[in-house]
Amino acid sequence: MHLILIVEDDQAIQNILRMLFEANGFRVVVAGTAARGEHDAKLHRPDIVLIDLGLPDRDGLNVITEIRAWSPVPIIVLSARTAEGQRLAAFEKGADDYVIKPFSAPELLARARAMVRRHVRGDLPMGMLQLGEVSVDMTRRVAQDRHGREVRLTPLEHRILESLVRHGDRIMTHAALIKEVWGPNRDDSRALRVYIGSLRRKLEVDPSRPRYILTELGIGYRLVIDTDGPSGNAPH
Amino acid sequence: MSRENSRSSPVFDVSSQRKIALPRPLHVILMFFRQYIRKYLIALSVTGICTAIAIPFYPNFNVTNIAMLYLLGTTFVALRLGRGPAVFMSVVNILVLDYLFIPPLFSFEIDDLPYFFTLGVALIVAIVIANLVVTIQRHSDNAVTRERRSAVLYAMSRELCVAPDAQTMAAVAVRHICEVFHATAAVLLADEQGGLASMLPADSCPSDSHTALRSFDLETAQKVIACGERLIAEAVYIPLQGSRRAKGVLIVRPRVPDCVIPDEQLNLLDAFAAQLALALQRARLAEAAELARIASERVLLRNTLLASISHDLRTPLSAIAGAGSLIALPGYVLNLDRRTTLGQLIERKAQDMSNLVSNILKLAEMEFGDGALRTDWHAVEDLISHSLRAHEVCLSQQRIVVNLPADLPLILAEATLIVQILNNLLENAAKYTPAGTTIEISAVVSDADMLIVVADDGPGLPPGDPERLFEKFQRGRAEGNVVGVGLGLAICRAAARLHGGDIRAMSNPGGGARFELRLPVKMLIDMPAASESDYLRTPA
Repeated sequence: MHLILIVEDDQAIQNILRMLFEANGFRVVVAGTAARGEHDAKLHRPDIVLIDLGLPDRDGLNVITEIRAWSPVPIIVLSARTAEGQRLAAFEKGADDYVIKPFSAPELLARARAMVRRHVRGDLPMGMLQLGEVSVDMTRRVAQDRHGREVRLTPLEHRILESLVRHGDRIMTHAALIKEVWGPNRDDSRALRVYIGSLRRKLEVDPSRPRYILTELGIGYRLVIDTDGPSGNAPH
Repeated sequence: MSRENSRSSPVFDVSSQRKIALPRPLHVILMFFRQYIRKYLIALSVTGICTAIAIPFYPNFNVTNIAMLYLLGTTFVALRLGRGPAVFMSVVNILVLDYLFIPPLFSFEIDDLPYFFTLGVALIVAIVIANLVVTIQRHSDNAVTRERRSAVLYAMSRELCVAPDAQTMAAVAVRHICEVFHATAAVLLADEQGGLASMLPADSCPSDSHTALRSFDLETAQKVIACGERLIAEAVYIPLQGSRRAKGVLIVRPRVPDCVIPDEQLNLLDAFAAQLALALQRARLAEAAELARIASERVLLRNTLLASISHDLRTPLSAIAGAGSLIALPGYVLNLDRRTTLGQLIERKAQDMSNLVSNILKLAEMEFGDGALRTDWHAVEDLISHSLRAHEVCLSQQRIVVNLPADLPLILAEATLIVQILNNLLENAAKYTPAGTTIEISAVVSDADMLIVVADDGPGLPPGDPERLFEKFQRGRAEGNVVGVGLGLAICRAAARLHGGDIRAMSNPGGGARFELRLPVKMLIDMPAASESDYLRTPA
């Protein structure tokens, strides 16, 4: 049973989150303040932290920094702050995901589960990667579709895919992705966007409605890998 | 001062007279010589010339006629050199006349009594003429100065009139003062509390002005602001008096230190300062009027918003409250199915409210914000897919077709705004089209524009002018079973126009509604196949 630490000051949302996670097999610890949250994180060593940014005593960003100083535990931000800059700040402090209030309960649960799974299992194996109809052999750097035909990926496309895979389900910011793929001296997101587009055209079933390489607007990209097989959790 | 004089030697510019650095006493004597002795020497030499002309004529000419000749010389001197030398010259003339031409010759004695009369009248006439000439000269000089003064003032005030803000006005004034006075100048503008906030560099002045400006004394300037009176220290500090308090300080520093500034020039400076103060006052008033106008528009918008929000928020709220109270009924009156239905109802209504709130916030941000776009390069398909993903559930009854050419260029835009446009169009489609409708999203590039089209084959637009849909608080249909203040399309239009584009609604040729979003394409980007080598670097 995984332990989730919820740092949230609003009583109603505390209750809802507690019900949601307890009903779905989590043990739940709730903290109402930033100080309490930091204390509980050290005391209980949770498998995942869900944190609100607007806390009564301090900004939630401080708590993220504090926890990141000693633990790689997955952190999901749950906040009503929607501006790109605020979301980006959370990722830069070390948050792994960001869910905007009002949230959909099934989606929050799915993200939390995926996060715990990655964390507990460790990083993804770098062997075969199955994305819908295309399977990519990450070590040999070749890809083929369902019918065994080769899908050609350019070296840069491969490097982008590798970076995304390494980060699992977590969002990779534009800056981080550019730095990993092109090196530290390039600050141009245009090329990245073009390559993401061409990667999607090669890997996605419907590139205009991608299911694997998802855009987080103004933040970056996230690779979604169905480890449970292609279960249609999103109706088309 | 003659006309040429006043134009070629501005007050502070005495540098031409100080090419060589002289010891102090010698310098003073030289100045004194230049100012006074020289004129008297010239007057004496004019007397000499008159005498030289008169001598050959003497035996044939009457003494009275010779006196006339001297009178002519005096008039000339009065015209050119002023009263002092002219009076001095008339006296000398009488002496010379007496000595050289009145018998007994070569003595100051006078034999004939009538000659006394002649000499006396000549002296009086000479002095009177000198006086008259000098007075007339001064009048004409004054007229010229006044004319020149109003011309330079006019030139400045004309530019001040069209200056858009206080900073520009200060720059204009500094430039004009630099030109007219051949000095370095600066304007320090006071903020609301009377503190000197911004220093304006006199960049239109010659290059040495910057170093000079740095040494302006801020404390002195502050003192001038406080007391509101002109102060002459190492430079001239003139407060720019507004209606209630000083708007700033005008600082003028002569090129040459320690030179005395004549009153007349100080007056002119005051006039410049007054003009600038007036202009600054006007700018402040215009600013205040603009603020008042914006404030009143805000009030109007707020009132309209409040009226319509209170309706559109209350409706879903009452549904949520009702559903909540039903679920909370004690004793499991409702079966599980009904509870589930109510739960879904609550979620849907809450989602509606959330969309409404974010629309309101977005609109407020666009209307009251600084108007600056946070643009970046984005792939259109990225933005479309992002928007589609957010509407998968509410569009599950409709068929979505996305039709994008593979070589679509990136656009320079604020992603959240473009996505907001798409969101609102898709939400509209979800609200107003029945199940089974096909919604097609497509994009094409033509010339410098990108056209993103959201079209459906549903019931189409309501009758009437489609432009009306883009006004705030308009709704396609009057009846109230569809939630949402009519803000969506107003936001679409505001966002499109912020990007320099526009959005229009029309009827689809095959029936249904069609929305065309036109965005300017800032730059076309090569596709990666052509440019990979450019981006490819050694692996990290």
